[in-house]
Amino acid sequence: MRKSVVSILAMGLILVPFLLVGTVSAKTLKIGSLSPLTGPYASDGTDIKNGVLTAISVFEEQGGIPGYDKIELYAQDTSCDPRQAVAAANKLVNLEVAGAIGAYCSSSTIPASDVLDEEEVIMITPASTHQDVTERGLPYMFRMCGRDDAQAPAAARFIKEALGAKTIFIVDDKTTYSQGLADGVKKAAKELGIKVLGHEHVNQGDKDFSAVLTRAKQENPDVFYMSVQGFSPAAMMTLQAKRLGMDSQIVTQDAVFQPRFMEVAKEASQGVFLTYGYTDPTTPEYKAFEERYVPKYGKIAAYATYAYDAAYTLLTAIKAAGSTDPAKIKAEMMKMDYQGVAKRIKFMENGDTGSNYIAFKVVDDKFVPYWSPEKGLLK
Amino acid sequence: MRLDPSSAASFYPPKFKKLRIMEYFIQQFVNGLTLGGMYALIALGYTMVYGVIQLINFAHGEFFAAGGYVGAITLGYLSGLGYMQTHPVLCLSAAFVFAMAYCAYLAVGVEKIAYKPLRRESRLAALLSALGMSIFLSNGMMLTQGVYDKIYPGEMFQGRFDFGTVAISYLQIMIIVLTALLLVGLNILVFKTKIGMAMRATAQDKTMSALVAIGSNKIISLTFAIGAGLAAAAGIMYGLYYGSVRYDMGFIPGIKAFAAAVLGGIGNITGAMIGGLIIGMVEVFGAGYFSSEYKDVFAFIILIGVLYFKPTGIMGENIDDTRV
Repeated sequence: MRKSVVSILAMGLILVPFLLVGTVSAKTLKIGSLSPLTGPYASDGTDIKNGVLTAISVFEEQGGIPGYDKIELYAQDTSCDPRQAVAAANKLVNLEVAGAIGAYCSSSTIPASDVLDEEEVIMITPASTHQDVTERGLPYMFRMCGRDDAQAPAAARFIKEALGAKTIFIVDDKTTYSQGLADGVKKAAKELGIKVLGHEHVNQGDKDFSAVLTRAKQENPDVFYMSVQGFSPAAMMTLQAKRLGMDSQIVTQDAVFQPRFMEVAKEASQGVFLTYGYTDPTTPEYKAFEERYVPKYGKIAAYATYAYDAAYTLLTAIKAAGSTDPAKIKAEMMKMDYQGVAKRIKFMENGDTGSNYIAFKVVDDKFVPYWSPEKGLLK
Repeated sequence: MRLDPSSAASFYPPKFKKLRIMEYFIQQFVNGLTLGGMYALIALGYTMVYGVIQLINFAHGEFFAAGGYVGAITLGYLSGLGYMQTHPVLCLSAAFVFAMAYCAYLAVGVEKIAYKPLRRESRLAALLSALGMSIFLSNGMMLTQGVYDKIYPGEMFQGRFDFGTVAISYLQIMIIVLTALLLVGLNILVFKTKIGMAMRATAQDKTMSALVAIGSNKIISLTFAIGAGLAAAAGIMYGLYYGSVRYDMGFIPGIKAFAAAVLGGIGNITGAMIGGLIIGMVEVFGAGYFSSEYKDVFAFIILIGVLYFKPTGIMGENIDDTRV
């Protein structure tokens, strides 16, 4: 018995030098990402991960961060499930990441940020648009995309001014994001004098919407507003709406900004409008991103650009701060003012970077800018 | 498109009349029939397997998903070759044949690996094995086919007929007709043929039927194969109707179909068909007349209500020789 204990200890001792070597020679900067990599929103979550990976490879090519040999991404799967998001956040805390990019669903971001913020880990969400994300006074919560309390009024104005609609029927799928946005559009539409003919809820994961769509068709609204968490339910709803012969104009929102929407809904997707943050595709930053991203991961979708900007911002701030101390990183981030891929990045006091929603129209397999609150119809 | 913002901001063509009450009802009825038909096809597999070996085959929803995938792959391949555009009906038939055959084969394999060795053990062991098989198959599909929705080829089937304001799509007609044909075919098989008689005999008493030279292993395999084949057919319909398939798509319809089987009286074929239609109808009418948010609640309230007054389900669990 004693012999075996001794031999185990001896074997352990043999490993010690390796452990030392391991920690001394390869110093790795760990950053985390939180997004749904399985389940209905897997494509959107993978876009976020790919955006972050692109930022890391660009950053490493530009010389990396002094004192670190490599930057490693720990991509966690949230499945858009609040419980799994909290578990993933705890895992990132244990891994001692320098910062985290994510999550995708607002209903994941909010509980995950409570965990990360308590442990003083910087979190930048590329995609969660619910206003509460940055309204809870968390010092280390940042946001790259816009907010729903800007998106909803912009959508309502678009429906009123550009489409001239008098009536609207709203459907949401009861997530923090989709229901919040639907309520916002309902309120803003009422204020603009648009009559709300109905507001129905469906369940997350539903595939059959024929009953609720028949109901919407009976109400015969000018605009059918579809507030759902991802492109997949949106595509199914659009497909079924067209099949039922509903000829109301479909308007939807940022979560549907995914070329796969057109692949699934095919012809039914044509002419659908949606609101999404404006990105200037002619900037050199965007073109550089496109050249790197497209050959490796395919079409630029949903929140890949925002994820890239979020990761690039985080890495730049770590480099400038020369440490992974969250307070120092935050100080560097607040100083930033530069043109990113998706937008101009300048953080406000609460961690937001501002909203710039415009309306896009689906034409063939592209989202074409159609209307902006400032300029009206875009030619 | 109805709205043309560039011409005039507030121009609208005169509105067509609202769907009348009757037409609204008919539209929802067709919607319910489509959904209920698919549930019924899946429910049959649960009920037949239960009838023969008293096992709730939780992996059954996965046969449905696998059928959807095989159909998608077949149609995708054929449309790549260009046959889909020239012979759509032929291609679709091929997809059905492949998917049903594949899933029948898969189900027989699953039975041999996961259930047969446990046939003499407690029922709980087989049930757990079924749960494990479900997780295994679902994850297997995820690993081989990816986590994304697989887009279903079949744009050519997307048209519809308009009867006044009632719109019935080609797919709805196809699903309803095909489901009816499959159900009639199954009834003939079970109640009018020698194989059906052997199945019913095995369901009633395995030892006794073995004594009159009915190979119970063969019959059990056959039951699994037929159930999975029907589920595979439902999987293709589902994929075509909703435009895509995903590895985890078997779960929720599986639960609903299981509820349908219980509602109709588990082990009873006619009961499963009726149960499926009821669940589909209740779901659609619940959403259409009350609230789409609570449509599943309505379906399960009906289930609880029926079981409270009639614990063996609508058609009863063991009606002598009609049980399979």
